[in-house]
Amino acid sequence: MKPLKLFLYVLLYAQSLTLLTFAQTGKIDSIGMVTLRIDPQSARGAAISQIFDEVKFIPLETTKESLFGNIAQLKIAGNKFVIYDYDTRSILLFSDEGKYISKIDATKLQTDKEDKEKAQSYGFRTVNEEGKDYIVIFTSNNVQYFTMDGKFIKKVKNYSYSDEITMSKGNVVAKLGMYIKKGKDSTFYKLNVINKVKKDTIGYFKFDTKLYETDDWYGDGGISQYAPNEAFWSTFYDYNLYKITPDKVSLAYKFVLPAINTLPKDFLTNPIYVKKRFDYFEKNKKVIHGLGKSYLLGDNLYLRFSNVFWDKDQKKNLIYNIKTSELISFQDLEPDSLSSFLPITDSGFGYDFENRGFLAFEDGKFYTSYSSLAMFAFKERSAGKTTKYPPLLENYFKTGDRKSNPVLVVFKPKTK
Amino acid sequence: MRFLFVLTIGMLCLCASSSYAQQPTNPSAPTTGTIKGIVRDTAHNYVLKAATVSIYRADSSVLNYQLSNNYGEFKFTNVPIGQILRIDISNIGYETLRQKITIPKGETLLDLKTLVLNPRNETLKEVVISIPPITYNNDTLEINAAAFKLDTNATVEDLLKKVPNITVWGDGIITVNGKEVKSLLVNGKQFFDGDNKVTLQNIPKNALEKIQIFNNADRNNPLDSNLIANLKLKKGKDRSYFGKIGIGYGTDNHYQLDGNINFTTPKLQLSIIGATNDVNKIPNDINTLVRNSTFKGIGTSVEYQPDFRQTGINKGIVAGAKMNYNFTPDSKEWNNKSSMSADYYFRNTETNNSGKTDNITTLSTNNKIFSLSENTSVNNSESHRINSQFNYFKKNHQIDISESFNTDNSSSKSINLRNASDNNNKPISTNDGRSTSNSDSQNLNLRANYSYNNYNNWKQRFKGFNLSYNLSMNNRNSDRNEITEFKDLLTPTLNRDFNRNYQTDAKTLNQNINLTVRDLRSLIFGNKNLSDFNGEITAKLDLDNNKNNNQVQDLNSGTYQVNNYLSNNLQTNQAVFTPGFSISKNFSKNLSNRYNKNLSIRFTAAQQLSYQDNKSIKSFQNINRDYNNFIPTASISYSNYQYGTHQTSISLNYNTQIIIPTINQLAPLTDSTNLYNLQRGNLNLVEAKTKSLNLSIYRYDMRSKNTLNFSANASIGLTEDAIIDSSFIDARNRRNNYLANADGTKYARIYGDVRKSLKFKSAELKFGYTTSFNVNRTPNYLNGLFNFSNNTSTENKISTNFTFKDKFALEGAQSIGTSSSKQKSLNTAYKNTTLTSSLSTNYNFTKKFSLNSNVSFNSNNPSVGETVNFTIWNAEFNYRFTKGNNAEIKLSALDLLKQNRAIFNFAGTNTFTTSTRNVLQQYFMVTLSYYPRKFGNNAAVKK
Repeated sequence: MKPLKLFLYVLLYAQSLTLLTFAQTGKIDSIGMVTLRIDPQSARGAAISQIFDEVKFIPLETTKESLFGNIAQLKIAGNKFVIYDYDTRSILLFSDEGKYISKIDATKLQTDKEDKEKAQSYGFRTVNEEGKDYIVIFTSNNVQYFTMDGKFIKKVKNYSYSDEITMSKGNVVAKLGMYIKKGKDSTFYKLNVINKVKKDTIGYFKFDTKLYETDDWYGDGGISQYAPNEAFWSTFYDYNLYKITPDKVSLAYKFVLPAINTLPKDFLTNPIYVKKRFDYFEKNKKVIHGLGKSYLLGDNLYLRFSNVFWDKDQKKNLIYNIKTSELISFQDLEPDSLSSFLPITDSGFGYDFENRGFLAFEDGKFYTSYSSLAMFAFKERSAGKTTKYPPLLENYFKTGDRKSNPVLVVFKPKTK
Repeated sequence: MRFLFVLTIGMLCLCASSSYAQQPTNPSAPTTGTIKGIVRDTAHNYVLKAATVSIYRADSSVLNYQLSNNYGEFKFTNVPIGQILRIDISNIGYETLRQKITIPKGETLLDLKTLVLNPRNETLKEVVISIPPITYNNDTLEINAAAFKLDTNATVEDLLKKVPNITVWGDGIITVNGKEVKSLLVNGKQFFDGDNKVTLQNIPKNALEKIQIFNNADRNNPLDSNLIANLKLKKGKDRSYFGKIGIGYGTDNHYQLDGNINFTTPKLQLSIIGATNDVNKIPNDINTLVRNSTFKGIGTSVEYQPDFRQTGINKGIVAGAKMNYNFTPDSKEWNNKSSMSADYYFRNTETNNSGKTDNITTLSTNNKIFSLSENTSVNNSESHRINSQFNYFKKNHQIDISESFNTDNSSSKSINLRNASDNNNKPISTNDGRSTSNSDSQNLNLRANYSYNNYNNWKQRFKGFNLSYNLSMNNRNSDRNEITEFKDLLTPTLNRDFNRNYQTDAKTLNQNINLTVRDLRSLIFGNKNLSDFNGEITAKLDLDNNKNNNQVQDLNSGTYQVNNYLSNNLQTNQAVFTPGFSISKNFSKNLSNRYNKNLSIRFTAAQQLSYQDNKSIKSFQNINRDYNNFIPTASISYSNYQYGTHQTSISLNYNTQIIIPTINQLAPLTDSTNLYNLQRGNLNLVEAKTKSLNLSIYRYDMRSKNTLNFSANASIGLTEDAIIDSSFIDARNRRNNYLANADGTKYARIYGDVRKSLKFKSAELKFGYTTSFNVNRTPNYLNGLFNFSNNTSTENKISTNFTFKDKFALEGAQSIGTSSSKQKSLNTAYKNTTLTSSLSTNYNFTKKFSLNSNVSFNSNNPSVGETVNFTIWNAEFNYRFTKGNNAEIKLSALDLLKQNRAIFNFAGTNTFTTSTRNVLQQYFMVTLSYYPRKFGNNAAVKK
């Protein structure tokens, strides 16, 4: 965890380079706010086929060259999967059938003489610039552009690393934490909406970045786009889900949780918690410290609550129906014939889903993955339930073993 | 031969158990069928994954039980057809479902389809119909004691033997689904010394509420096995006492009396022991007696048996107490634990020895001296020992303090009559010695260690340090009288008589301070990675102070007069300072869920500065010396963790060690009393330097069945300027020992250990193999002739451990040891082979009546001297009576074959010695024992 924290720290300072003019502070519209009372532990189960239309397992090919640890980051670029593996520090490309294409490993990264450190990848992003797709790899010195075939193009310094999404066909960009300059002062906002047509930038949720040094920060949050012009944003120590549309940011849902899961009211203001937040969560493991990336698909809200309690029975990944108020938990989903009687996450066996949640949401489908160690254990557990697996899996069970590459799981939620 | 015997027994047992496991059923008329179903919570619309499904017979005894699988399914095979049975399905937070079921005659399957469990209404008071045998609660497997019907005297061990998938092996190790339980706790704490036997064989099953088994493994390595079993006692049962009191009387007036009683409260654990006997059964510590006083009895254990190998007739009394106090009994955090333990041990022994020794000394080829001596002695010793230990652990701070104080008061009287003859059997000299001595000594050791660790806060650069201080004080006063009459039969002018008194007062004080500052990288460079290089500073200071005051008096014409030559007052001060700097580099390779490999290399450069100052009233001993040496060390360690299969560690270490000559090696005061052995010094001695290389390999199997584990260790060493003997032996076998420095001391050692376990339906079999091989070459001078003594010794042992249900246990071992010594320039070679076979069995006829037998066969075959074979066979019958099985009568027969002898062969540089001693021999004994046992406040332990 340490290098990752360090990197985040570096990123934060890189923000200060992204200064924009024409700035203003935005107001949150909370007229349409809905309060939802949820007790995660009361969530029910359902058969996988009741919730999803389609489940597909894509084993990623294992060769000497393509062997990697697990998927830290996944992007779907047309008919390719782009994967970042923290173990080997490589970016790997696989076809949509899991066939290995190529990879960008440390040997392809360039280190300049003036660079302080040897170039090492910390993650990537896919971008489209002037009609061409690129893989942009983050290093602590710069970012390095590669083509989708893994060919080096260029290095760029002063790059803005913050997570962002685009709406209105690219005219509106919603971007996480950055500084906005107003006169001589510059202010840091947790969420920023840039309108390229109006040429203005609105910052939401002012934040004093000194807190990163003088206090502990421990939590989830992020930006998740579930429709062309709709996205959710959430932040740590907060149970609200904010909705971003091209025109405004509004408070969409406010969650009320059982007392045992709820942060003290004065958690952000009382100085007794300063630098003691980690201790607080260690002592109150069931307290939820925030909401992770969430999605609204049809009437179903896909929610992810975070706490430091790794107990298998804790229900944290939930599906809430805003019409019927039915609450379903991911770990109580029952594998059936739609998934060849195999689970769609590694909950209860490994921690990939627990740690990372959904790896991606693209084109109406969620992506998760689990290790071959888990897959072969699941196969053993479901022995005799299915006679025939889909061709990709059938072949994988024949040729692979517990040490093969992880398996991607793609599932399409029902929206009606 | 013996090995084959043991192996055959092992194989026989193996076949017996496998044939038991494969009892065929008659397929034409099935008497058993299958019951299956799915457990579901329809309120929450999911299957219940680890619900307990139990099947009971009509008389409410458990027939079988299991946990539902990941799909909520259960399936029982081998269920009797046509019988009325009951099925109970329970799960935490649900109402228990109970149903009468029968597999109809003529059918072999009963499909109960979906069985619905209803969540328990929280407001209603919990009504427990019956407790399921096992439950699965929050990643913890719980075994509920009340669900198992055992007799009222059963212990936790008896219970565990009834639980499927749990194995209690013959050596006390517990495995759950093949995975070893790493620690066994009682109410979350270690029970006495954490010995599984003490816990399992004392705690009554009826004092137990449940056994909780959970994995404490790292979140990142979910498959790593770090199983913990916690015995949760019923409320109030954590106050207990248990133990054993035994009294025995036997033939030849042999007697034995021993007792052990243990008390527990939530914070305190206390053991008290006492024992006295004349059958070589003197426990060396309190734990030995605690371990061998368990309610279950000793089984195949031969740990606390009369030691027939011990020489002489030994009478002894021991007594002691041990306590452990826990300051934080409820803390579950690993970094918040504080405890104190203390023990006191008293021991009084009297040993009567008599023996004969034959010695052959080779002076040159075909020139040997033979000597024969007879020896009798009486030794008395009385000692007290107090140890205490205090541990404090809170967050970043860890303090450990331990203390040990011993006093010893001993006296001995001995007579030694010795005569020597030459090649032609012609007597050349005689030496009669009488010695009486008294000594008392006090010894104090104190160790204190403080360490500060700050790895939680990644922003802080200073990661920690370690400071330790050791103190050792020793005081010894002794007085000794030696009367020696030496007669040289060839040259009477060399005849010498002595009557000498020695008074020695020796005091030593050693102090040692160690400081280590860790993680210099973080301290100097903050969070920079520096390609995984890191540094450490160490400093070590040793201060030694020795005072020796010797007053020697000789009897001269009726009065004792001071011997000015031998009387001495010597003081040695020595300081050794060793500053060092280490640099290390770490390479690691990790592939999630596949492997984790780590290689680390460390090099330490240290300089050892030593100063030795000797002050004596003898001017030739006023010597001060300083030494300055570079002592580099290096290590490479590699570990390979393969998820779910195995873990291998390999490490290679290089070390340098300096040995500084002592004043007694440089310039000793030569005592002329013992003319056969005169110790001389050498002022020109320099320090010896030993360089050693050590390789160790360890493999741990993480699979769940039939595991194979091994460890091996190999080391080689080379000493430069070793301090060696240079002896001059004259024709009358009088030896003058000088010392010299010489290169060429070498050694090589290999040790290996392999363990394999096999599990059958009702039996368990374990194999172990250990091997060791030692070879060393020591140079020496004999009458000016340079010589290498090459010594080799090997030891190979195979052992097997077999248990069948709780009826029968067998432990067999076969070992072969060899030793040889060769002197090239003297053209001599001595060899010795020792074979030992042992077989220990325990058979329980009924719960009250059992038979133990242990046989060991010993064969000692030296190249010179006679081959000695003897077999010691001990057997005992135990009968338990009274309602709680608390009383026991035991008939034991020891050394049934009356073969015990003690013969020793020893091969030195140019000598070969054979000696015989008096030993304990056959006797029979009747022992009455009482095992008091009470857990909780109620008088009788009732279900």
